Amino acid sequence: MSAVSVPFSFSRLALIASNTFLEAVRQRLFNFLLLLAVGLVASAQFFRDFNFGSSELKFIADFGFGALVFFGSALTITTTAQLFFSEIENRTALTLLAKPIWRAEFVFGKFVGVFAVIGVFCALTIGLMMALLWHREGQLMTIDPEAFASGRIVRYGDLFIVGVLQWLKFGVLSSIVLLIATFSNSNLYTVVTGFFALVICHLQYLARDSWSNVDNLMLRVLVQVLGLIFPNFQLFNLGDEIGQGAALDPLLAGRVAVYAVVYIAVIGGLAVYSFRNREI
Amino acid sequence: MNTPVPAISIKGLTKDFAVTLRGVKLRAVDDLSLTVEEGHVFGLLGPNGSGKSTTIKVILGLLGATAGDVRVFGVPSHEVESRRNVGYLPEAPYFYRYLSGYELVRFYARVCGVPRKQLQARVKDVVDWVGLSKAADRRVGTYSKGMLQRIGLAQALVHDPKLIVLDEPTAGVDPVGTAEMCELILKLKQQGKTVLITSHLLAQIEDVCDRVAILDHGKLIVEGSLQELVGQRDRQALIVDSLPPADIEALRGWLVSRGHALNAIEQPRARLDQLFLSKVSRGGHAGASGGVGSNVVPKSSAPNTSAPVAASPKPKA
Ligand SMILES: Nc1ncnc2c1ncn2[C@@H]1O[C@H](COP(=O)(O)OP(=O)(O)OP(=O)(O)O)[C@@H](O)[C@H]1O
Ligand SMILES: [Mg+2]
Repeated sequence: MSAVSVPFSFSRLALIASNTFLEAVRQRLFNFLLLLAVGLVASAQFFRDFNFGSSELKFIADFGFGALVFFGSALTITTTAQLFFSEIENRTALTLLAKPIWRAEFVFGKFVGVFAVIGVFCALTIGLMMALLWHREGQLMTIDPEAFASGRIVRYGDLFIVGVLQWLKFGVLSSIVLLIATFSNSNLYTVVTGFFALVICHLQYLARDSWSNVDNLMLRVLVQVLGLIFPNFQLFNLGDEIGQGAALDPLLAGRVAVYAVVYIAVIGGLAVYSFRNREI
Repeated sequence: MNTPVPAISIKGLTKDFAVTLRGVKLRAVDDLSLTVEEGHVFGLLGPNGSGKSTTIKVILGLLGATAGDVRVFGVPSHEVESRRNVGYLPEAPYFYRYLSGYELVRFYARVCGVPRKQLQARVKDVVDWVGLSKAADRRVGTYSKGMLQRIGLAQALVHDPKLIVLDEPTAGVDPVGTAEMCELILKLKQQGKTVLITSHLLAQIEDVCDRVAILDHGKLIVEGSLQELVGQRDRQALIVDSLPPADIEALRGWLVSRGHALNAIEQPRARLDQLFLSKVSRGGHAGASGGVGSNVVPKSSAPNTSAPVAASPKPKA
């Protein structure tokens, strides 16, 4: 009797991820994403006759990031839930999980697939936004050469880094939604709870700030613990100064990235644990 | 170890589902014990809701057992290892709509770790084998029910497993497809595979199974080889040209004089499925390539057990 166990396989994980990505492609999700990104950036362009000079560039950047954060969050929650539940509801998970694969490969495979889809959306939006900024900056440079005496003022590298950080943040959000999906029975419940979690993650710093001075020790500890359980999404908003020429602190950006990766790993682990015994 | 490890061994399997929030339990499988020996075709029968699919899902580790021990080739069924040599066709299968037939089978082949070098050939072989090569470039979303069952069989076989578990492989499949499915199962048996099949179309099961078990309300009612259960060795049916009444009387007298009895006289009728099979062309059917022998009639002549001397001859074409 051979007792060779089936080892965890990254290639199976990648296979499930690429199949998930392919589903998004073949279900025409990307047509929609492209439309959305073009629409967003075009509507930033719509405000261009404000002609604020260099502050107009900041406006475009802020608008672009605002749109990325808003639509990216909505997209992350819905696609994660959808791509997970399409397997459960169509009962394709039945066939797949009856193969010699680990449930962890399934869960992380789904995660990587969704993360790639969101990456495409982020790249599209940031890319288009950068192109627009570049184009507009070029125009402004000829209109008002003095303001640009020392060359271009938009830091495109920083813009890119902030985009990557947002993508990582969506990754954290996606892992939270995946965790909810592993024990929830329906797509709708998952989406609603996911939005709820999103709001908590964005606003938890408020609670932490306002409750940290409370006398009651228990309450203070509770707030601190909750603040640890839910990641603080406010940390990812490093983009506020971009477009005004302020430089991004690379150390800070690195720390935020590590923060995101740690949360993804821990929440992903919890999702695997919760999915381990799920009845399909 | 001298005793061979059975393909499936189930001991005292009980499965409860929590069906209400108050914790009321529904017992879907009740203290079931079964053994499927390697190389057998084993039929699991039972009415709707008797726990057939639940049992199968426990065997495949998709559901956890409430109590009892389930092993596949000696490995506990909740371990990933136990699924290495198993192919599974779920009931009413449904696959990734956005893949083509080839892509689908290829995907599962890669999941099962079929080596890259053999991948292409293996996928093509198995798709041909289930008779779906003409439709294999189409999206699975456009497949008919019978085609889904075929592609499902292909994905279950692609990694050449030793045990194949088929949950109602003929549900929604027409008589031609059903007959072909039965042939495929018999071929698997010839290759030395173990097959576990569920159905409530009893005539079909009869044609292919070595042993059957009948479940009802999650309990095992009977289990045994087909011969033990339904073989009637003490009777025979003779089919003759129409006889005038006088001859029949003479025949009866002759039989009685030799100590035999004429138990029943009936007009044999062609079975409808055989009529169907003889009239409907095989081959260009359902995108099937006719890869499965082209004029084979199922060897069923399933005796009609209610009529002792009933006969069901093949229709004269
Ligand atoms: N996930 C589940 N939750 C609750 N009850 C379930 C679940 N799955 C099955 N059951 C119940 O368990 C019993 C057995 O179901 P099962 O699907 O095993 O029957 P079956 O023998 O395969 O029937 P059929 O011939 O209709 O396919 C049924 O009463 C069914 O309602
Ligand atoms: Mg069933």
